[in-house]
Amino acid sequence: MIQDFITIIQDYWLLLLIGQYPNGPLGGLANTLILSALAIAFAFPVSILMALARLSKWWFLRWPMTALVYVTRGVPLLMLILWCYFVIPLWTGADVPSFLIMLVTLVIYQGAFLSEVVRAGIVSLGQGQMDAARALGHGYMGAMRFVILPQALYNMIPSMISTFVSTIKDTTLGYVINVPDLTFAASQVNNQLLTQPFQVFLILALVYYILCWSLTYVANSVERRIARRRAGPRNARLPAEAAPLKTITEQL
Amino acid sequence: MSTLVSEPQAAQAIRIADVCKSYGDYQVLKNINAEVARGEVVVICGPSGSGKSTLIRTVNRLEEINSGGISFEGQDIHAPMGASELNKLRSRIGFVFQSFNLFPHLSVVENVSMSPIRVKGVSPAAAHDKALKLLDRVGLADKANSYPGQLSGGQQQRVAIARALAMEPPVMLFDEPTSALDPEMVGEVLSVMKSLAAEGMTMLCVTHEMGFARDVADRIWFIDAGEILETAPPEDFFKNPRHPRAQRFLADLRH
Ligand SMILES: Nc1ncnc2c1ncn2[C@@H]1O[C@H](COP(=O)(O)OP(=O)(O)O)[C@@H](O)[C@H]1O
Ligand SMILES: [Mg+2]
Repeated sequence: MIQDFITIIQDYWLLLLIGQYPNGPLGGLANTLILSALAIAFAFPVSILMALARLSKWWFLRWPMTALVYVTRGVPLLMLILWCYFVIPLWTGADVPSFLIMLVTLVIYQGAFLSEVVRAGIVSLGQGQMDAARALGHGYMGAMRFVILPQALYNMIPSMISTFVSTIKDTTLGYVINVPDLTFAASQVNNQLLTQPFQVFLILALVYYILCWSLTYVANSVERRIARRRAGPRNARLPAEAAPLKTITEQL
Repeated sequence: MSTLVSEPQAAQAIRIADVCKSYGDYQVLKNINAEVARGEVVVICGPSGSGKSTLIRTVNRLEEINSGGISFEGQDIHAPMGASELNKLRSRIGFVFQSFNLFPHLSVVENVSMSPIRVKGVSPAAAHDKALKLLDRVGLADKANSYPGQLSGGQQQRVAIARALAMEPPVMLFDEPTSALDPEMVGEVLSVMKSLAAEGMTMLCVTHEMGFARDVADRIWFIDAGEILETAPPEDFFKNPRHPRAQRFLADLRH
């Protein structure tokens, strides 16, 4: 049994690591890492913009973004992937690589989820911080940038980590549109061996587990470092009876 | 509105004219008329829920009003204006909150220097030096690199005063600056406020500290149920309050 795992890894480690590269497209774990990193890197700023749009006083930003967030959150990711897979090439008329389609879908999907987290983080901060910033002469966007968001995002680190972890897990769904990632490579290995699906997919599961766990570990230690610097215990972050922050009337 | 014509050299720092404000059907401010002269220290007192916070927050437009006008150094602060113009006006009115509202993610010296840098465009080095001087002035030079969460309430409120002063406002507004403090910390905040008054700062303070009002104020405004019922120098107000509700308020305070 253990011997099976060792043999599979010895025979196929390069395929699992980088896919067909350099004879074919880059794949395997390398591609999974790149896809996850890009999806997280784009979903994060996109989610902040989506949250600010949902809190905007302008209906033409607020309404479409609210609709987008509701639809995205109410639809299975797999539907969204298939939909983008068929619609994006139709709209653009170009042959868009499946990697890019997967990336765009993940950014929209995770961005929508994360934007709700960011929005809750902003509102739950309470009115006092915005009042203090405005009284000092900061504009709405300046107050957001220098006062509100640094605190809201910090308070949201735990929820952000779980969204990032699910982003990594969701990259596996790229399988259905042939994104050559780690899952795709494992399935190729399985197709060649035919007799050892349990071993192959257990290796796959272990790798994803290690990936997600390391991300959680790193994020938690970053959070602890910030908390220690400010010497504030976690539960001292939110004022006890803060009135929700008014975001619309603050934007003159 | 004709009383609010722009006079750049207006003798009044703040002039409140016919201000009314309602929350829905509930009228919080009823036709308020009052003035604060340059260099004057005014204490607003009155029962809880009478509209003191609402009134003082309309002065830098943290609250909107329904009618009337408020001029600050001759400029109508509630006139329609662009956001940047309002921000500029606001940056010249210091505001100290009951709940301090320091920025917990910034160190003490960053709390004080951030707005001069970001709003006024002061160089970081100059803003830092100024912040250290102000912290020294409120007796907290040694706390410059602490975070707000590490300070006592009295220390936080003194940082909040330094933070407001860093914008070099000609006018300071205080909304019950000592009400959230433990009794032993009230004195340290009041003594900073006293020294500010002694330097000629124009101040409008909501406070229940009647000792401070007696010693420091030039004038008391007594407000009840959204109306200013009496304005008088402290010696008159405390000895011979004219309005029956002011008499009752002072009697209640003494018990
Ligand atoms: N945002 C609000 N919405 C509705 N009513 C309010 C609001 N803020 C204050 N009030 C009411 O206005 C009145 C005056 O409040 P406030 O100015 O805070 O009084 P004070 O500072 O004198 O205690 C109170 O009755 C209060 O309940
Ligand atoms: Mg009040």
